[in-house]
Amino acid sequence: MSGPTRGNGSSPASDGDSGDSSISDDHDVGSGVLNVPRTDGGSEAEGALSEARSAAATLRRRVEARALTLGAAVTALVLLVVFYYPVATVFVDAVFVEGRLTVEPIVSVLTSRFYLVDIFGFTAYQALLSTIASVLLGLPGAWILSRFEFPGRETLRSLTILPFVMPSIMVAIGFVATFGRNGTLNAVLGALGLPPVELLFTIEAIVIAHAFYNAPLVARVTTAAWESVDASAVETARSLGASPTRAFRDVVLPQLLPAVAIGATLTFVFTFASFPIVLALGGFQLATVEVFIYSRIQNLAYAEAAALAVVETAISVGLTYWYLRYEGRNRGSGQGARPQPRQSLWPDSWTAKATGSRVAIIGYGLVVLAVFVGPIASMVLTSLTGPQGLTLDHYLFLLERQQTGASYQVRPLPAIANSLRFGVGTLLVAVPMGVVVAVLTTREFRGRAAIDTLAMAPFAVSGIVVGLGLLRGLVFGVDAFGTRLQVTGAIAVVAAHAVGAYPFVTRNVAPLLGNLDPRLVESARSLGASRVRALVDIELPLVAAGVVAGAAFVFAISIGEFDSTVVLAEGSTSYTMPVAVERYLGRRLGPATAMGCILLAVTSLSFVIIERFGGRYGGRGGF
Amino acid sequence: MKRRTFLRTVGVGGVAGVAGCVGGNGDGEETDERATSGNGDDTTGTTTGATESSTPELVVSTYGAFVDAPSTSPGPWLKEAFESEFDATLTYATPDSEINYYIERAMRGADIDADVYVGLNVDMLIRIDEQLDDGLFTAVGDISGQGDVKSGLNFDPDGRIVPYDTSYVSIVYNETFDDGDFVAPETFDGLLESEYAGDLLTQNPTGSATGKSFLLHTIDAKGPDGYLDYWEALQANDVRVLSDWATSYANYEDEEAPMVVSYSTDQVYASQSGEDLAKHQIRFLNDQGYAYPEGMSIFEGADDPELAREFLEFVLRPDVQGEIAQRNVAFPATTTAELPEEFAEYAQAPPEAVTFTYDELRDNVSEWTDAWERQFASK
Repeated sequence: MSGPTRGNGSSPASDGDSGDSSISDDHDVGSGVLNVPRTDGGSEAEGALSEARSAAATLRRRVEARALTLGAAVTALVLLVVFYYPVATVFVDAVFVEGRLTVEPIVSVLTSRFYLVDIFGFTAYQALLSTIASVLLGLPGAWILSRFEFPGRETLRSLTILPFVMPSIMVAIGFVATFGRNGTLNAVLGALGLPPVELLFTIEAIVIAHAFYNAPLVARVTTAAWESVDASAVETARSLGASPTRAFRDVVLPQLLPAVAIGATLTFVFTFASFPIVLALGGFQLATVEVFIYSRIQNLAYAEAAALAVVETAISVGLTYWYLRYEGRNRGSGQGARPQPRQSLWPDSWTAKATGSRVAIIGYGLVVLAVFVGPIASMVLTSLTGPQGLTLDHYLFLLERQQTGASYQVRPLPAIANSLRFGVGTLLVAVPMGVVVAVLTTREFRGRAAIDTLAMAPFAVSGIVVGLGLLRGLVFGVDAFGTRLQVTGAIAVVAAHAVGAYPFVTRNVAPLLGNLDPRLVESARSLGASRVRALVDIELPLVAAGVVAGAAFVFAISIGEFDSTVVLAEGSTSYTMPVAVERYLGRRLGPATAMGCILLAVTSLSFVIIERFGGRYGGRGGF
Repeated sequence: MKRRTFLRTVGVGGVAGVAGCVGGNGDGEETDERATSGNGDDTTGTTTGATESSTPELVVSTYGAFVDAPSTSPGPWLKEAFESEFDATLTYATPDSEINYYIERAMRGADIDADVYVGLNVDMLIRIDEQLDDGLFTAVGDISGQGDVKSGLNFDPDGRIVPYDTSYVSIVYNETFDDGDFVAPETFDGLLESEYAGDLLTQNPTGSATGKSFLLHTIDAKGPDGYLDYWEALQANDVRVLSDWATSYANYEDEEAPMVVSYSTDQVYASQSGEDLAKHQIRFLNDQGYAYPEGMSIFEGADDPELAREFLEFVLRPDVQGEIAQRNVAFPATTTAELPEEFAEYAQAPPEAVTFTYDELRDNVSEWTDAWERQFASK
């Protein structure tokens, strides 16, 4: 599966429960006081109508009062069924061997110099380099997208989602064509009279590919935060005599840092568990822990696989916990809704400063061209190339497969339709889940960071482990009450996608919610609004940018997801575009890359459309 | 092992029937189960094959490329040919994790809903025998055509698996490198020479048949005590071990390196798609190719073992063997296969085929692979 899109998983039931109880007291306060505003007028209308209205209002109040609790319970249930239980069926192998409780597998991993140094040490090292590269490559992008105005800016921002949906095999193919010995980069260097570079099969190649996947993540979350900076705060600082640099450091930077930190944390967690890219562009000598988990699972050496996965997860979860504590401590207060004005990309006057920044932008543009546009363009070119030069044969193959393919073969149109259906389904499930968890975890209570970490765990568990867990837990099912309970097909796919994607909503929304002035909600509540009403009417509009940014990730994660989909779509017609890409791989890359291009085209189109929609309803969104 | 599974989705109803229930040829058992099952929230699995209650169904499980490869695959032809001769419906199942899917099912006590598996190799068989006490497949017994299978291809000492085709893993090289002067070395030792530094692409032995075969070939050539030293030298000469066959072949086609570990039938594809054969030369190191036979077997508890046996016999028939070999681009398993003359022109067989026996591999293969992994991935 592609880089950042992995995982879904969960564990103990306790997380939902404690979340629950902590909200329910709030509701009672809310529903006890007066009416919700909209029912006011009803009192003057005649009998029946008024009664009906007030009955409806009561019902709505009740639903509203319980909505958060209900949302939390449903979220916990989904996590339990689609993540924690399935993953537990795999992790249990690390501590239960032949029916006996043992710590032997984990101890043997922890005492192996090879595993600790050569594998975990190296895995962390390449993840760190990848994180640094992703931040360095992502931040200038955020700066340009949030501070400059130019034609096509919104479309460009929409397209930054594309790396998320790229199947790793396509990235590998694109990278070879761009950075290989005979690749585009070396052709350009040669034309400029410069010596060629050998990038493939090195750690640099892995790091650049990881940056390809994750720099857009850093850019997107940072852009969303930057666009949420209130212009008046900056203006106030300036009017009090702060220099632009000072105003940036004291006003803007504190609001950007949490976003950069979440981008960096997620990048580290994702690249720590990276798998296909490492072997495709680096080679086995650069094997990471996920390579060994895959190998052990493939050979059914479950105890060792589970032990490795437990240690891997512990590291990722530990890092997530550490980040979440930081996020909790770094909440500001006060948050406006008027974004800073953008500069024109073409400056009014060419001062030294304006010229310098434009030169920097051009330099950055060249890097973007090489790292992002190059590989994608190479893939498009591969899909249009045959042994005799340019051809549409590979697209004709897709057409033919669509028309004559048998029911047991993978056809393009159902793959497109399924991907879109699952994407929309995942949005409908994951966005409310993410918002509920964000609301719960922005309250202060003991163990908040722990609960938040459990809710974030889907990011921290190996995609290979989740896939096996889903097979064991959901596809095979469990015997209960005399029947075999199974969860497969479309519903299971959507649930698995939602679990793997909703933390993006939480992470985009939670920091913004935390920044809101608590008095806003308190005022609404004292005027009689239920907690949910306050959330929907007051808070969500103020954090719309975060919700929209999270939703974009959700849709992209769903479109690009592979590990869980391929397991849950087994034997059915629920396959998606990435699954089709994998199935069309063969000796010639044409058919698979043609399908890959269709995947990119469908995704781009969806995002450009959603961006218009989101732009209208969500205000300055993160799309 | 009960074959008819009853599918129940947890949660909201109305999901289209999926996974879990394959087929449905109206044996009373399934009807009964359905009759007792219905309530609004349940979804019973729909049948995945077009089946009539009178037509027996044969569920054949295999790997995806057997039915779905973009270039050529034998699956569709095989289904059509079988159905035209037998009063049966052939339904394909292609689980992504291949045989591990069924091993997992058996280990977790879930029903097996397939009758025949096509695409077994010796590694898979060893995994089955290590994990499952009862095995997964039955001895096929006496089936006609079995006597025609080439000696040396049978890899199951217990007679459960019948080989249906074989490939030979070799080096494919591009002689247009070095201004058209590139020639691959003739021996394993030749690969260590500095002129071939960085020139060979191979694959992760785990999850790649070619990578695994190449590793085993080096063990055969250098001995269990010598292969690690050989690989140390090979690694020092910048051999590239990539994730899988598709990735390494993509690198090869982009001319990142002049040699790739692949199959000796490479020119069949190359000639079909009109490529320059100079870029698809075959080299058998030490004049040997590592044999990679593929086999088929009947699941324990198949619904209709007689029909399953008829299918196996059908696959071994000379005309069918010839078709499968051409469509799967591999060599037939039998000596009696009917093949057109031109097949031999592009499909090259090695002067000598080597392979390890089931017993040798069962006792050593994990150890050999683990030791190789640890050495090669040491930083």
